[in-house]
Amino acid sequence: MQSTPHRTIVTRHRRLSRIAPYLYFLPALALAVTFSLWPFFKTVVNSLSIVNLSGRIVEFVGLDNFRELSASGNFRDSLRNTFRFTAMFVPANILACLGAALLCYRKRRGTAFNELLFLLPMAVALSSAALIFKAMFNPTIGIVNWILGIDVDWFNDPAMAMFTLVALGVWLDIGLDFVLLLAALRNVPTQLVEAAAMEGANAWRKFFSIQLPMISPTLLFVVCTNVKDAMLISAPVMILTEGGPYRSTQTLVYQMYLEGFKSGNYTLGSTIGVVVFLLSVVMLLLLFRFEKRGVYYA
Amino acid sequence: MTEKLVRKTGPRHRNARIVTDFLLPLVATGFGLIVIFPLLWSFMASFFPIGDFTTWPPRLVPSRIEWDNYARAIKESMLLRFMANSLATAAGGTAIRMTVAILAAFAAAFLSFKGRDFLFIVILSTMLIPSDALLIENYLTIQRFGLLDTWFGIVSIYLLAPTQIFMLRQVFKTIPHEFREAAAIDGCGDIRFLTRIVLPMARPVALALTLQSFTSIWNAYLWPLLVTNTARMRTVQVGITMLGFSESLDFGPTFAAISLVTAPVVIAFMALRKKIVEGVAASGLVG
Repeated sequence: MQSTPHRTIVTRHRRLSRIAPYLYFLPALALAVTFSLWPFFKTVVNSLSIVNLSGRIVEFVGLDNFRELSASGNFRDSLRNTFRFTAMFVPANILACLGAALLCYRKRRGTAFNELLFLLPMAVALSSAALIFKAMFNPTIGIVNWILGIDVDWFNDPAMAMFTLVALGVWLDIGLDFVLLLAALRNVPTQLVEAAAMEGANAWRKFFSIQLPMISPTLLFVVCTNVKDAMLISAPVMILTEGGPYRSTQTLVYQMYLEGFKSGNYTLGSTIGVVVFLLSVVMLLLLFRFEKRGVYYA
Repeated sequence: MTEKLVRKTGPRHRNARIVTDFLLPLVATGFGLIVIFPLLWSFMASFFPIGDFTTWPPRLVPSRIEWDNYARAIKESMLLRFMANSLATAAGGTAIRMTVAILAAFAAAFLSFKGRDFLFIVILSTMLIPSDALLIENYLTIQRFGLLDTWFGIVSIYLLAPTQIFMLRQVFKTIPHEFREAAAIDGCGDIRFLTRIVLPMARPVALALTLQSFTSIWNAYLWPLLVTNTARMRTVQVGITMLGFSESLDFGPTFAAISLVTAPVVIAFMALRKKIVEGVAASGLVG
Protein backbone atom coordinates (compact mmCIF):
# COMPACT_ATOMS: atom_id res chain seq x y z
CA MET A 1 0.00 0.00 0.00
CA GLN A 2 2.61 2.49 1.07
CA SER A 3 5.08 1.56 -1.63
CA THR A 4 2.85 2.73 -4.49
CA PRO A 5 3.22 6.51 -4.08
CA HIS A 6 6.88 5.98 -3.34
CA ARG A 7 7.36 4.08 -6.58
CA THR A 8 5.60 6.70 -8.67
CA ILE A 9 7.82 9.37 -7.21
CA VAL A 10 10.89 7.35 -8.10
CA THR A 11 9.76 6.68 -11.67
CA ARG A 12 8.73 10.28 -12.08
CA HIS A 13 12.13 11.35 -10.82
CA ARG A 14 13.82 8.97 -13.23
CA ARG A 15 11.74 10.17 -16.13
CA LEU A 16 12.53 13.78 -15.22
CA SER A 17 16.24 13.11 -15.11
CA ARG A 18 15.99 11.58 -18.55
CA ILE A 19 14.10 14.59 -19.95
CA ALA A 20 16.05 17.22 -18.01
CA PRO A 21 19.03 17.49 -20.40
CA TYR A 22 16.65 18.24 -23.25
CA LEU A 23 15.05 21.01 -21.20
CA TYR A 24 18.38 22.85 -21.14
CA PHE A 25 18.42 22.80 -24.94
CA LEU A 26 14.74 23.58 -25.37
CA PRO A 27 14.81 27.43 -25.26
CA ALA A 28 17.71 27.63 -27.71
CA LEU A 29 16.13 25.06 -30.02
CA ALA A 30 12.74 26.76 -29.92
CA LEU A 31 14.32 30.11 -30.80
CA ALA A 32 16.45 28.54 -33.53
CA VAL A 33 13.40 27.02 -35.17
CA THR A 34 11.05 30.00 -34.71
CA PHE A 35 13.33 32.85 -35.74
CA SER A 36 15.89 31.22 -38.00
CA LEU A 37 15.35 27.73 -39.43
CA TRP A 38 11.60 27.92 -40.14
CA PRO A 39 11.70 31.47 -41.56
CA PHE A 40 14.71 30.41 -43.62
CA PHE A 41 12.78 27.48 -45.06
CA LYS A 42 9.79 29.76 -45.69
CA THR A 43 11.97 32.39 -47.38
CA VAL A 44 13.41 29.78 -49.73
CA VAL A 45 9.92 28.47 -50.56
CA ASN A 46 8.67 32.05 -51.03
CA SER A 47 11.49 32.77 -53.44
CA LEU A 48 10.19 29.92 -55.62
CA SER A 49 6.58 31.13 -55.50
CA ILE A 50 4.28 34.12 -55.77
CA VAL A 51 3.41 35.43 -52.31
CA ASN A 52 0.46 37.70 -51.47
CA LEU A 53 0.35 40.62 -49.04
CA SER A 54 -0.47 38.47 -46.00
CA GLY A 55 2.57 36.31 -46.72
CA ARG A 56 0.61 33.34 -48.12
CA ILE A 57 1.82 31.44 -51.16
CA VAL A 58 -0.44 31.81 -54.21
CA GLU A 59 1.43 29.91 -56.86
CA PHE A 60 4.63 27.91 -57.29
CA VAL A 61 6.78 29.35 -60.08
CA GLY A 62 10.13 27.58 -59.80
CA LEU A 63 13.14 29.74 -60.56
CA ASP A 64 11.13 32.45 -62.36
CA ASN A 65 11.74 34.99 -59.58
CA PHE A 66 15.49 34.56 -59.84
CA ARG A 67 15.32 34.91 -63.61
CA GLU A 68 13.27 38.07 -63.29
CA LEU A 69 15.65 39.40 -60.65
CA SER A 70 18.83 38.80 -62.64
CA ALA A 71 17.31 40.62 -65.60
CA SER A 72 16.33 43.69 -63.58
CA GLY A 73 18.64 46.69 -63.71
CA ASN A 74 17.49 47.70 -60.25
CA PHE A 75 18.81 44.49 -58.73
CA ARG A 76 22.04 44.64 -60.72
CA ASP A 77 22.64 48.12 -59.32
CA SER A 78 22.15 46.81 -55.80
CA LEU A 79 24.50 43.93 -56.40
CA ARG A 80 27.16 46.16 -57.93
CA ASN A 81 26.82 48.72 -55.13
CA THR A 82 27.08 46.05 -52.45
CA PHE A 83 30.30 44.69 -53.96
CA ARG A 84 31.63 48.20 -54.51
CA PHE A 85 31.00 49.06 -50.88
CA THR A 86 32.63 45.84 -49.68
CA ALA A 87 35.67 46.34 -51.92
CA MET A 88 36.17 49.86 -50.58
CA PHE A 89 35.20 49.33 -46.97
CA VAL A 90 37.17 46.20 -46.03
CA PRO A 91 40.66 47.38 -47.13
CA ALA A 92 40.08 50.88 -45.76
CA ASN A 93 38.92 49.50 -42.45
CA ILE A 94 41.77 47.00 -42.12
CA LEU A 95 44.33 49.71 -42.95
CA ALA A 96 42.87 52.14 -40.41
CA CYS A 97 42.50 49.59 -37.62
CA LEU A 98 45.82 47.86 -38.19
CA GLY A 99 47.57 51.23 -38.46
CA ALA A 100 46.04 52.38 -35.19
CA ALA A 101 46.89 49.10 -33.47
CA LEU A 102 50.51 49.21 -34.69
CA LEU A 103 50.85 52.75 -33.35
CA CYS A 104 49.53 51.75 -29.93
CA TYR A 105 50.53 48.16 -29.19
CA ARG A 106 53.81 49.02 -27.43
CA LYS A 107 53.07 50.41 -24.01
CA ARG A 108 54.71 53.83 -23.80
CA ARG A 109 53.80 57.13 -22.23
CA GLY A 110 50.48 58.28 -23.64
CA THR A 111 49.41 54.86 -24.93
CA ALA A 112 46.47 54.68 -22.54
CA PHE A 113 45.17 58.01 -23.86
CA ASN A 114 45.69 56.98 -27.49
CA GLU A 115 43.91 53.68 -26.90
CA LEU A 116 40.95 55.59 -25.55
CA LEU A 117 40.79 57.81 -28.65
CA PHE A 118 40.52 54.79 -30.95
CA LEU A 119 38.08 53.00 -28.65
CA LEU A 120 35.59 55.82 -28.29
CA PRO A 121 33.83 55.45 -31.66
CA MET A 122 32.63 52.10 -30.28
CA ALA A 123 30.63 54.07 -27.72
CA VAL A 124 28.62 55.85 -30.39
CA ALA A 125 25.59 54.07 -31.75
CA LEU A 126 25.02 53.62 -35.45
CA SER A 127 22.17 56.04 -35.92
CA SER A 128 23.80 58.80 -33.85
CA ALA A 129 26.98 58.44 -35.89
CA ALA A 130 24.99 58.48 -39.14
CA LEU A 131 23.29 61.74 -38.12
CA ILE A 132 26.63 63.31 -37.20
CA PHE A 133 28.17 62.28 -40.53
CA LYS A 134 25.13 63.53 -42.41
CA ALA A 135 25.64 66.98 -40.95
CA MET A 136 29.43 66.93 -41.40
CA PHE A 137 29.21 65.91 -45.04
CA ASN A 138 26.45 68.41 -45.79
CA PRO A 139 27.50 69.90 -49.14
CA THR A 140 26.61 73.52 -48.41
CA ILE A 141 27.29 74.01 -44.70
CA GLY A 142 29.23 70.85 -43.85
CA ILE A 143 32.55 70.97 -42.08
CA VAL A 144 34.18 68.24 -44.18
CA ASN A 145 34.23 70.30 -47.36
CA TRP A 146 35.60 73.26 -45.42
CA ILE A 147 38.41 71.32 -43.72
CA LEU A 148 39.48 69.56 -46.90
CA GLY A 149 39.12 72.78 -48.86
CA ILE A 150 36.98 71.10 -51.51
CA ASP A 151 33.52 71.62 -52.91
CA VAL A 152 32.00 68.17 -53.28
CA ASP A 153 28.28 67.62 -53.48
CA TRP A 154 28.53 64.44 -51.38
CA PHE A 155 24.90 63.38 -51.35
CA ASN A 156 23.91 64.49 -54.85
CA ASP A 157 26.90 63.15 -56.75
CA PRO A 158 26.49 59.45 -57.61
CA ALA A 159 30.27 59.05 -57.77
CA MET A 160 30.82 60.45 -54.27
CA ALA A 161 27.93 59.30 -52.08
CA MET A 162 29.47 55.86 -51.56
CA PHE A 163 32.51 57.46 -49.91
CA THR A 164 30.35 58.89 -47.14
CA LEU A 165 29.04 55.37 -46.44
CA VAL A 166 32.58 53.96 -46.39
CA ALA A 167 33.75 56.72 -44.04
CA LEU A 168 30.84 56.05 -41.71
CA GLY A 169 31.36 52.29 -41.91
CA VAL A 170 35.05 52.52 -41.01
CA TRP A 171 34.32 54.95 -38.21
CA LEU A 172 31.68 52.66 -36.69
CA ASP A 173 33.96 49.63 -36.88
CA ILE A 174 37.27 51.09 -35.80
CA GLY A 175 36.78 50.63 -32.05
CA LEU A 176 36.17 46.90 -31.96
CA ASP A 177 38.58 45.86 -34.73
CA PHE A 178 41.26 48.09 -33.21
CA VAL A 179 40.97 46.32 -29.85
CA LEU A 180 41.04 42.89 -31.46
CA LEU A 181 44.19 43.65 -33.47
CA LEU A 182 45.78 45.44 -30.51
CA ALA A 183 45.32 42.38 -28.31
CA ALA A 184 46.68 40.14 -31.07
CA LEU A 185 49.80 42.30 -31.55
CA ARG A 186 50.41 42.30 -27.81
CA ASN A 187 50.17 38.52 -27.77
CA VAL A 188 53.10 38.19 -30.18
CA PRO A 189 56.02 36.95 -28.03
CA THR A 190 58.38 39.90 -27.49
CA GLN A 191 61.46 37.63 -27.70
CA LEU A 192 60.67 36.96 -31.35
CA VAL A 193 60.43 40.63 -32.25
CA GLU A 194 63.55 41.51 -30.23
CA ALA A 195 65.57 38.69 -31.76
CA ALA A 196 64.65 39.94 -35.21
CA ALA A 197 65.63 43.49 -34.25
CA MET A 198 69.01 42.31 -32.98
CA GLU A 199 69.69 40.56 -36.24
CA GLY A 200 69.10 43.82 -38.02
CA ALA A 201 65.53 43.46 -39.25
CA ASN A 202 63.92 46.83 -39.94
CA ALA A 203 60.36 47.73 -39.01
CA TRP A 204 58.88 46.51 -42.32
CA ARG A 205 60.69 43.21 -42.14
CA LYS A 206 59.63 42.75 -38.51
CA PHE A 207 56.03 43.39 -39.40
CA PHE A 208 55.76 41.22 -42.52
CA SER A 209 57.92 38.30 -41.34
CA ILE A 210 56.89 38.04 -37.70
CA GLN A 211 53.96 40.12 -36.58
CA LEU A 212 51.70 39.66 -39.58
CA PRO A 213 51.95 35.84 -39.60
CA MET A 214 51.45 35.75 -35.82
CA ILE A 215 48.29 37.87 -35.91
CA SER A 216 46.92 36.26 -39.07
CA PRO A 217 44.19 34.23 -37.26
CA THR A 218 42.81 37.42 -35.70
CA LEU A 219 43.22 39.30 -38.95
CA LEU A 220 41.28 36.60 -40.78
CA PHE A 221 38.53 36.80 -38.17
CA VAL A 222 38.34 40.58 -38.59
CA VAL A 223 38.30 40.32 -42.40
CA CYS A 224 35.55 37.67 -42.23
CA THR A 225 33.29 39.73 -39.99
CA ASN A 226 34.06 42.86 -42.07
CA VAL A 227 33.10 41.16 -45.33
CA LYS A 228 29.93 39.71 -43.81
CA ASP A 229 28.89 43.05 -42.30
CA ALA A 230 29.69 44.88 -45.54
CA MET A 231 27.60 42.52 -47.65
CA LEU A 232 24.67 43.05 -45.27
CA ILE A 233 24.93 46.83 -44.90
CA SER A 234 21.55 48.56 -44.74
CA ALA A 235 21.02 50.83 -41.73
CA PRO A 236 23.72 53.41 -42.63
CA VAL A 237 22.26 53.52 -46.15
CA MET A 238 18.79 54.16 -44.77
CA ILE A 239 19.84 57.08 -42.59
CA LEU A 240 22.67 58.64 -44.58
CA THR A 241 21.80 58.37 -48.27
CA GLU A 242 18.49 56.49 -48.62
CA GLY A 243 20.07 54.59 -51.50
CA GLY A 244 20.53 57.74 -53.54
CA PRO A 245 21.42 59.64 -55.56
CA TYR A 246 20.10 57.67 -58.54
CA ARG A 247 20.34 54.35 -56.67
CA SER A 248 24.12 54.79 -56.48
CA THR A 249 24.19 53.61 -52.85
CA GLN A 250 21.27 51.19 -52.92
CA THR A 251 22.57 47.91 -51.45
CA LEU A 252 21.02 44.44 -51.47
CA VAL A 253 19.50 44.46 -48.00
CA TYR A 254 18.29 48.01 -48.51
CA GLN A 255 16.56 46.97 -51.74
CA MET A 256 15.06 44.01 -49.90
CA TYR A 257 13.70 46.42 -47.30
CA LEU A 258 12.28 48.66 -50.03
CA GLU A 259 10.64 45.77 -51.91
CA GLY A 260 9.34 44.02 -48.81
CA PHE A 261 8.25 46.86 -46.61
CA LYS A 262 7.75 49.88 -48.87
CA SER A 263 6.30 48.17 -51.95
CA GLY A 264 4.81 45.17 -50.11
CA ASN A 265 6.39 42.83 -52.63
CA TYR A 266 7.19 39.83 -50.42
CA THR A 267 7.99 37.68 -53.44
CA LEU A 268 10.83 39.86 -54.65
CA GLY A 269 11.92 40.64 -51.08
CA SER A 270 12.25 36.93 -50.23
CA THR A 271 14.11 36.26 -53.48
CA ILE A 272 16.65 38.95 -52.62
CA GLY A 273 16.85 37.47 -49.11
CA VAL A 274 17.90 34.12 -50.59
CA VAL A 275 20.51 35.87 -52.77
CA VAL A 276 21.86 37.61 -49.66
CA PHE A 277 22.11 34.29 -47.86
CA LEU A 278 23.86 32.57 -50.78
CA LEU A 279 26.34 35.43 -51.14
CA SER A 280 27.26 35.37 -47.46
CA VAL A 281 27.78 31.59 -47.54
CA VAL A 282 29.94 31.80 -50.68
CA MET A 283 32.01 34.58 -49.13
CA LEU A 284 32.59 32.53 -45.97
CA LEU A 285 33.61 29.47 -47.99
CA LEU A 286 36.07 31.54 -50.02
CA LEU A 287 37.59 32.94 -46.85
CA PHE A 288 37.93 29.49 -45.31
CA ARG A 289 39.76 28.29 -48.41
CA PHE A 290 42.08 31.22 -47.99
CA GLU A 291 42.56 30.31 -44.33
CA LYS A 292 44.10 26.94 -45.20
CA ARG A 293 46.84 28.59 -47.22
CA GLY A 294 47.41 31.96 -45.62
CA VAL A 295 46.92 31.61 -41.87
CA TYR A 296 49.58 30.59 -39.40
CA TYR A 297 48.52 28.98 -36.12
CA ALA A 298 51.07 28.99 -33.33
CA MET B 1 66.51 44.01 -20.58
CA THR B 2 65.33 45.71 -23.73
CA GLU B 3 66.49 49.09 -22.56
CA LYS B 4 69.98 47.80 -21.72
CA LEU B 5 70.33 46.32 -25.18
CA VAL B 6 69.24 49.49 -26.84
CA ARG B 7 71.49 51.65 -24.71
CA LYS B 8 74.56 49.59 -25.52
CA THR B 9 74.15 49.99 -29.26
CA GLY B 10 75.22 53.03 -31.23
CA PRO B 11 73.77 56.45 -32.09
CA ARG B 12 71.69 55.01 -34.95
CA HIS B 13 69.66 53.17 -32.36
CA ARG B 14 69.38 56.20 -30.14
CA ASN B 15 67.76 58.02 -33.04
CA ALA B 16 65.48 55.06 -33.58
CA ARG B 17 64.51 55.24 -29.92
CA ILE B 18 63.61 58.89 -30.17
CA VAL B 19 61.41 58.06 -33.15
CA THR B 20 59.66 55.16 -31.47
CA ASP B 21 59.28 56.69 -28.02
CA PHE B 22 58.24 60.21 -28.90
CA LEU B 23 57.25 60.47 -32.52
CA LEU B 24 55.05 57.39 -32.83
CA PRO B 25 52.85 58.21 -29.82
CA LEU B 26 52.47 61.73 -31.22
CA VAL B 27 51.43 60.35 -34.61
CA ALA B 28 49.01 58.05 -32.82
CA THR B 29 47.50 60.97 -30.90
CA GLY B 30 47.13 62.97 -34.11
CA PHE B 31 45.42 60.10 -35.87
CA GLY B 32 43.27 59.47 -32.81
CA LEU B 33 42.16 63.08 -32.63
CA ILE B 34 41.04 62.89 -36.26
CA VAL B 35 39.12 59.75 -35.38
CA ILE B 36 37.24 61.31 -32.48
CA PHE B 37 36.70 64.62 -34.25
CA PRO B 38 33.09 63.77 -35.22
CA LEU B 39 32.35 63.04 -31.58
CA LEU B 40 33.91 66.30 -30.35
CA TRP B 41 32.22 68.31 -33.09
CA SER B 42 28.78 66.87 -32.35
CA PHE B 43 29.25 67.72 -28.67
CA MET B 44 30.09 71.31 -29.67
CA ALA B 45 27.17 71.39 -32.08
CA SER B 46 24.80 70.41 -29.29
CA PHE B 47 25.33 73.95 -27.91
CA PHE B 48 24.97 75.75 -31.27
CA PRO B 49 22.19 78.32 -31.47
CA ILE B 50 20.23 77.89 -34.68
CA GLY B 51 22.24 80.43 -36.68
CA ASP B 52 25.56 78.67 -36.03
CA PHE B 53 24.66 75.83 -38.35
CA THR B 54 24.38 77.99 -41.44
CA THR B 55 27.53 80.11 -41.24
CA TRP B 56 30.43 79.83 -43.68
CA PRO B 57 33.09 78.91 -42.75
CA PRO B 58 31.37 76.37 -40.48
CA ARG B 59 31.80 76.91 -36.78
CA LEU B 60 33.88 74.66 -34.55
CA VAL B 61 32.74 76.17 -31.26
CA PRO B 62 29.35 77.72 -30.52
CA SER B 63 29.04 81.54 -30.73
CA ARG B 64 27.18 81.33 -27.43
CA ILE B 65 26.10 78.35 -25.39
CA GLU B 66 22.51 77.40 -26.18
CA TRP B 67 21.27 75.29 -23.24
CA ASP B 68 17.81 75.46 -24.72
CA ASN B 69 18.81 72.70 -27.20
CA TYR B 70 18.94 70.24 -24.31
CA ALA B 71 15.71 71.44 -22.79
CA ARG B 72 13.93 71.10 -26.13
CA ALA B 73 15.45 67.70 -26.87
CA ILE B 74 13.90 66.41 -23.65
CA LYS B 75 10.65 68.37 -23.61
CA GLU B 76 9.63 68.44 -27.27
CA SER B 77 10.48 64.86 -28.12
CA MET B 78 9.93 61.49 -26.48
CA LEU B 79 13.67 61.02 -25.96
CA LEU B 80 13.32 59.83 -22.39
CA ARG B 81 10.68 57.31 -23.41
CA PHE B 82 12.96 56.10 -26.24
CA MET B 83 15.81 55.66 -23.77
CA ALA B 84 13.56 53.72 -21.41
CA ASN B 85 12.54 51.42 -24.28
CA SER B 86 16.16 50.88 -25.25
CA LEU B 87 17.24 50.21 -21.67
CA ALA B 88 14.41 47.76 -21.09
CA THR B 89 14.93 45.85 -24.32
CA ALA B 90 18.74 45.80 -24.09
CA ALA B 91 18.74 44.72 -20.43
CA GLY B 92 15.84 42.27 -20.70
CA GLY B 93 17.01 40.88 -24.03
CA THR B 94 20.54 40.40 -22.72
CA ALA B 95 19.25 38.61 -19.61
CA ILE B 96 17.15 36.18 -21.68
CA ARG B 97 19.88 35.73 -24.27
CA MET B 98 22.55 34.93 -21.70
CA THR B 99 20.22 32.53 -19.83
CA VAL B 100 19.36 30.68 -23.03
CA ALA B 101 23.01 30.55 -24.07
CA ILE B 102 24.31 29.42 -20.66
CA LEU B 103 21.72 26.63 -20.37
CA ALA B 104 22.46 25.29 -23.86
CA ALA B 105 26.23 25.57 -23.46
CA PHE B 106 26.06 23.85 -20.07
CA ALA B 107 24.10 20.88 -21.44
CA ALA B 108 26.44 20.63 -24.42
CA ALA B 109 29.53 20.65 -22.22
CA PHE B 110 28.52 18.60 -19.16
CA LEU B 111 25.49 16.40 -19.85
CA SER B 112 25.43 13.38 -22.11
CA PHE B 113 22.18 12.33 -23.74
CA LYS B 114 20.93 10.88 -26.95
CA GLY B 115 21.05 13.28 -29.91
CA ARG B 116 23.02 15.92 -28.01
CA ASP B 117 25.59 16.58 -30.72
CA PHE B 118 22.98 16.61 -33.48
CA LEU B 119 20.75 19.08 -31.62
CA PHE B 120 23.77 21.23 -30.81
CA ILE B 121 24.67 21.40 -34.48
CA VAL B 122 21.08 22.35 -35.27
CA ILE B 123 21.44 25.30 -32.89
CA LEU B 124 24.85 26.27 -34.28
CA SER B 125 23.70 25.98 -37.89
CA THR B 126 21.72 29.21 -37.45
CA MET B 127 25.12 30.95 -37.42
CA LEU B 128 25.18 30.58 -41.20
CA ILE B 129 21.84 32.31 -41.76
CA PRO B 130 22.10 36.11 -41.55
CA SER B 131 19.01 37.52 -39.86
CA ASP B 132 18.89 40.32 -42.45
CA ALA B 133 17.93 37.72 -45.06
CA LEU B 134 14.92 36.72 -42.93
CA LEU B 135 13.49 40.17 -42.15
CA ILE B 136 10.26 39.62 -44.06
CA GLU B 137 9.37 36.21 -42.62
CA ASN B 138 10.34 37.22 -39.09
CA TYR B 139 8.21 40.34 -39.44
CA LEU B 140 5.25 38.21 -40.51
CA THR B 141 5.81 35.89 -37.53
CA ILE B 142 5.83 38.79 -35.08
CA GLN B 143 2.73 40.22 -36.75
CA ARG B 144 0.88 36.89 -36.51
CA PHE B 145 1.74 36.53 -32.82
CA GLY B 146 0.38 40.06 -32.29
CA LEU B 147 3.77 41.19 -30.96
CA LEU B 148 4.23 44.32 -33.08
CA ASP B 149 4.90 47.35 -30.86
CA THR B 150 6.03 45.24 -27.91
CA TRP B 151 9.37 44.98 -26.14
CA PHE B 152 9.39 41.26 -26.82
CA GLY B 153 8.90 41.86 -30.53
CA ILE B 154 11.88 44.21 -30.56
CA VAL B 155 14.25 41.71 -28.91
CA SER B 156 12.79 38.51 -30.39
CA ILE B 157 15.34 37.90 -33.13
CA TYR B 158 18.28 38.73 -30.85
CA LEU B 159 17.49 36.14 -28.17
CA LEU B 160 19.50 33.36 -29.78
CA ALA B 161 23.23 33.97 -30.19
CA PRO B 162 24.81 30.79 -31.58
CA THR B 163 28.36 32.18 -31.57
CA GLN B 164 28.04 33.02 -27.89
CA ILE B 165 26.68 29.55 -27.13
CA PHE B 166 29.65 28.05 -28.91
CA MET B 167 32.17 30.24 -27.08
CA LEU B 168 30.58 29.50 -23.70
CA ARG B 169 30.67 25.76 -24.39
CA GLN B 170 34.36 25.97 -25.25
CA VAL B 171 35.02 27.69 -21.93
CA PHE B 172 32.81 25.29 -19.95
CA LYS B 173 34.68 22.37 -21.49
CA THR B 174 37.90 23.49 -19.85
CA ILE B 175 36.29 22.84 -16.44
CA PRO B 176 37.08 19.23 -15.35
CA HIS B 177 34.14 16.83 -15.08
CA GLU B 178 35.38 15.72 -11.67
CA PHE B 179 34.05 19.00 -10.29
CA ARG B 180 30.54 17.96 -11.24
CA GLU B 181 30.92 14.50 -9.75
CA ALA B 182 32.31 15.92 -6.53
CA ALA B 183 29.48 18.43 -6.40
CA ALA B 184 26.90 15.70 -7.01
CA ILE B 185 28.33 13.61 -4.12
CA ASP B 186 27.93 16.63 -1.86
CA GLY B 187 24.26 16.79 -2.92
CA CYS B 188 24.61 19.68 -5.32
CA GLY B 189 22.26 19.44 -8.30
CA ASP B 190 23.03 20.53 -11.85
CA ILE B 191 21.47 23.97 -11.60
CA ARG B 192 23.35 24.73 -8.39
CA PHE B 193 26.54 23.33 -9.90
CA LEU B 194 26.02 25.66 -12.85
CA THR B 195 25.34 28.81 -10.84
CA ARG B 196 27.79 28.20 -7.98
CA ILE B 197 30.78 26.63 -9.69
CA VAL B 198 30.68 26.81 -13.51
CA LEU B 199 29.58 30.44 -13.93
CA PRO B 200 32.04 31.93 -11.42
CA MET B 201 34.85 30.04 -13.20
CA ALA B 202 33.76 31.37 -16.60
CA ARG B 203 33.18 34.91 -15.36
CA PRO B 204 35.51 36.98 -17.60
CA VAL B 205 34.08 35.48 -20.77
CA ALA B 206 30.49 35.60 -19.52
CA LEU B 207 30.94 39.29 -18.66
CA ALA B 208 32.46 40.10 -22.06
CA LEU B 209 29.58 38.34 -23.83
CA THR B 210 27.01 40.11 -21.65
CA LEU B 211 28.51 43.47 -22.59
CA GLN B 212 28.56 42.48 -26.25
CA SER B 213 24.90 41.38 -26.13
CA PHE B 214 23.82 44.57 -24.45
CA THR B 215 25.54 46.83 -26.98
CA SER B 216 24.33 44.84 -29.98
CA ILE B 217 20.67 45.05 -28.89
CA TRP B 218 21.09 48.68 -27.83
CA ASN B 219 22.55 49.53 -31.26
CA ALA B 220 20.03 47.63 -33.37
CA TYR B 221 18.31 49.81 -35.93
CA LEU B 222 16.51 48.12 -38.83
CA TRP B 223 14.55 45.46 -36.94
CA PRO B 224 13.28 47.76 -34.14
CA LEU B 225 12.23 50.19 -36.88
CA LEU B 226 10.22 47.49 -38.65
CA VAL B 227 8.37 46.09 -35.63
CA THR B 228 7.37 49.38 -34.01
CA ASN B 229 4.59 51.51 -35.43
CA THR B 230 3.88 53.96 -32.63
CA ALA B 231 6.31 56.62 -31.49
CA ARG B 232 6.14 55.59 -27.83
CA MET B 233 7.50 52.11 -28.55
CA ARG B 234 10.54 53.28 -30.50
CA THR B 235 14.05 52.64 -29.25
CA VAL B 236 16.62 55.41 -29.03
CA GLN B 237 18.33 54.35 -32.25
CA VAL B 238 15.12 54.60 -34.24
CA GLY B 239 13.63 57.54 -32.39
CA ILE B 240 16.68 59.78 -32.61
CA THR B 241 16.45 59.82 -36.41
CA MET B 242 12.82 60.92 -36.19
CA LEU B 243 12.94 63.68 -33.60
CA GLY B 244 11.40 66.06 -36.09
CA PHE B 245 13.83 68.91 -35.47
CA SER B 246 16.16 68.39 -38.41
CA GLU B 247 13.63 69.58 -40.98
CA SER B 248 14.64 73.24 -41.08
CA LEU B 249 18.37 73.27 -40.27
CA ASP B 250 17.33 73.25 -36.63
CA PHE B 251 19.98 70.66 -35.77
CA GLY B 252 20.74 71.86 -32.22
CA PRO B 253 18.20 69.75 -30.30
CA THR B 254 19.10 66.67 -32.37
CA PHE B 255 22.77 67.02 -31.44
CA ALA B 256 21.77 67.65 -27.84
CA ALA B 257 19.83 64.38 -27.95
CA ILE B 258 22.83 62.59 -29.48
CA SER B 259 25.06 63.94 -26.71
CA LEU B 260 22.59 62.90 -24.01
CA VAL B 261 22.43 59.38 -25.41
CA THR B 262 26.17 59.03 -26.05
CA ALA B 263 27.65 60.70 -22.95
CA PRO B 264 26.90 57.87 -20.47
CA VAL B 265 28.50 55.31 -22.79
CA VAL B 266 31.54 57.50 -23.42
CA ILE B 267 32.04 57.96 -19.68
CA ALA B 268 31.66 54.21 -19.14
CA PHE B 269 34.30 53.58 -21.81
CA MET B 270 36.70 56.03 -20.19
CA ALA B 271 36.33 54.25 -16.88
CA LEU B 272 36.43 50.73 -18.30
CA ARG B 273 39.08 51.17 -21.03
CA LYS B 274 41.56 48.79 -19.41
CA LYS B 275 38.88 46.17 -18.70
CA ILE B 276 37.59 46.34 -22.28
CA VAL B 277 41.03 45.89 -23.83
CA GLU B 278 41.80 43.00 -21.48
CA GLY B 279 38.30 41.52 -21.77
CA VAL B 280 38.59 41.22 -25.54
CA ALA B 281 41.88 39.42 -25.13
CA ALA B 282 40.32 37.13 -22.51
CA SER B 283 37.15 36.30 -24.43
CA GLY B 284 39.13 33.92 -26.61
CA LEU B 285 38.60 35.92 -29.76
CA VAL B 286 42.31 36.46 -30.11
CA GLY B 287 45.13 34.10 -30.93
